[in-house]
Amino acid sequence: MPAEFQTRDPLGQAEGLRSALDEHCGVMLTDSSGRILSVNEALCTVTRYAREELVGRDPRILNSGFHAKEHIRELWNTLASRRTWQGDLKNRAKDGTFFWARTTIVPVPDDPGTGVNYLALYTVFSDPYLAEEKAAYLAAIVDSSGDAIVGKNLQGIVSSWNHGAERIFGYTAAEMIGQSILKLIPEDRRSEEDRILAKIAQGGTVEHFDTIRLHKNGSPVTVSVSVSAIKDSSGRIIGAAKVARDISERKRWESTIRSLNLTLERRVAERTAQLEAANQELEAFSYSVSHDLRAPLRAIDGFTQAVCEDYGPLLPSDGKRYLDTIRFSAQRMGDLIDDLLAFARLSRQEIKAKEVDMAAIVRECLDELGAPWPGRGVEVEIADLPRVQGDAAMVKQVWSNLLSNAVKYSRGREPARIEVGCAPRGAATEFFVRDNGTGFDMRYYDKLFGVFQRLHRPEDFEGTGVGLAIVKRIVARHGGSVRAESVQGHGATFYFTL
Amino acid sequence: MNPSKAVEILLVEDNPQDLELAVRALRKAHLANNIQVARDGEEALDYIFAQGGFAGREISESPKVVLLDLKLPKIDGLTVLERIKGDPRTQTIPVVVMTSSKEHRDVAEAYNLGANSYIVKPVNFDNFIESVGKIGMYWLLLNESPHPGR
Repeated sequence: MPAEFQTRDPLGQAEGLRSALDEHCGVMLTDSSGRILSVNEALCTVTRYAREELVGRDPRILNSGFHAKEHIRELWNTLASRRTWQGDLKNRAKDGTFFWARTTIVPVPDDPGTGVNYLALYTVFSDPYLAEEKAAYLAAIVDSSGDAIVGKNLQGIVSSWNHGAERIFGYTAAEMIGQSILKLIPEDRRSEEDRILAKIAQGGTVEHFDTIRLHKNGSPVTVSVSVSAIKDSSGRIIGAAKVARDISERKRWESTIRSLNLTLERRVAERTAQLEAANQELEAFSYSVSHDLRAPLRAIDGFTQAVCEDYGPLLPSDGKRYLDTIRFSAQRMGDLIDDLLAFARLSRQEIKAKEVDMAAIVRECLDELGAPWPGRGVEVEIADLPRVQGDAAMVKQVWSNLLSNAVKYSRGREPARIEVGCAPRGAATEFFVRDNGTGFDMRYYDKLFGVFQRLHRPEDFEGTGVGLAIVKRIVARHGGSVRAESVQGHGATFYFTL
Repeated sequence: MNPSKAVEILLVEDNPQDLELAVRALRKAHLANNIQVARDGEEALDYIFAQGGFAGREISESPKVVLLDLKLPKIDGLTVLERIKGDPRTQTIPVVVMTSSKEHRDVAEAYNLGANSYIVKPVNFDNFIESVGKIGMYWLLLNESPHPGR
């Protein structure tokens, strides 16, 4: 109990009354010159000042600066005429925060009884402006929402209707408030609303329920609805707040995407079928070429051979040479057909990628090409080669073609030199085969990797002109690249990555 | 039964030029005496299983080797091969498949079905000798077999 009140009890009341007052509100006693004489504990608590910080000071220490001068002047005028002043004051606490207090200031006789003191009672209440601001703020959020936010009671009667609801359903707030929400619900979906309200009444919520509602003009609106309970201060469920999002657009996009997907799938299926048909045709074509086209060729070769064998002694030397030429040509056409089929097959053949030992493959190829070519001086130098990912059979075909070219086009060199190696090129490893043979004319480089393209005369170097085309096709199918360089007469180098 | 009359080679070939060249090669190898020719798959099966036009023949008197073209009218070569190799009475008869190209995809299929060897057309003497040598038939064909038909 503050000592001040025992000596200067302004109300002159009993102990109990003082204690009730202390519980109820802040109390401040000031003299007529505007000095604080005493304060109670409750006032210290609400102002966050210690008693010593207040006593002896001007009560304007609590001035928030919020009120108009007229308001304050009216206060002083009232007190000067010895009347009680009552009003709401916004005060500033020590920590700079503000608090509102319903304030009653009563002029009381001072201790000697000659002058006047003022007894002020502060009953704190929550900031009315803050509450208003908050409400306005929330209302603005609700109103600015593109979603429909609707309040309704448990009978489904609309109590609030925001701009979003107006936009989505076409009704104004005036048209809907007080009306049943059933206005928005298509006949065949009326039971939905009963179920939703029943669920809310039991304390449940509804989240993202996709359904159809009616616009004022009668057209259907696809909405995603979430509903939760509105409770009064005692926690009793008195209604439901519904948030509805117009998802007509989204649904339209979804159905567009679905139909596009279906179209795409159908097209892929069609193209796949076309491709398969084309492949089958190609297969049948290849079969026909290899089988039917060969039959007459076989007859040409076979019967020419028969003539040579059975009637050779009867023929003049020119006749014999002509027949040899016929046979050579027939066999060459057989070779061309073989190579062309091998080349065509490359496009259809599936790549079975696994780790491939390049060094082993190079040695194998050289063996198969007849290394070390007794009677010819051929020096072969093979650097360390890494393992790579690729189709073993196809990669071997690449090496085999490049190495056989190197052997073929270095014919006549003593010694012929063939160098096999690799070097990094970008992120990949580039392999190469280098020879000191006849090389090729870089002016015709663009023909080098073409099918049936030859840069040498057949009487100088035999071949069908398919080998490098096969190399290029295999390398391309592995996602790699191929290139070559040469100085005519001094050799060539062929590079490839996989 | 007269051993010299026993069929040693059943040559199944529809193309007349190929047939003539094959017969010529066999003749050069002195193997042309006991050749039976079938011009399509059906005729080949009739002969081997002693049916149709060959009813009354003994199945057990099988040829020593069958030279089989794969592309045949009526019943194709692979089917003929399958039937020969699928029947316990005939599965031991060596079958040499004649193909138009060694790269032919049918070669793999033919081996799967039990073909003993293959030769690439045109069938020339060397080609044929090598193939027959592979299946160990050469001397049996070249010299009169002491037990014809088996």
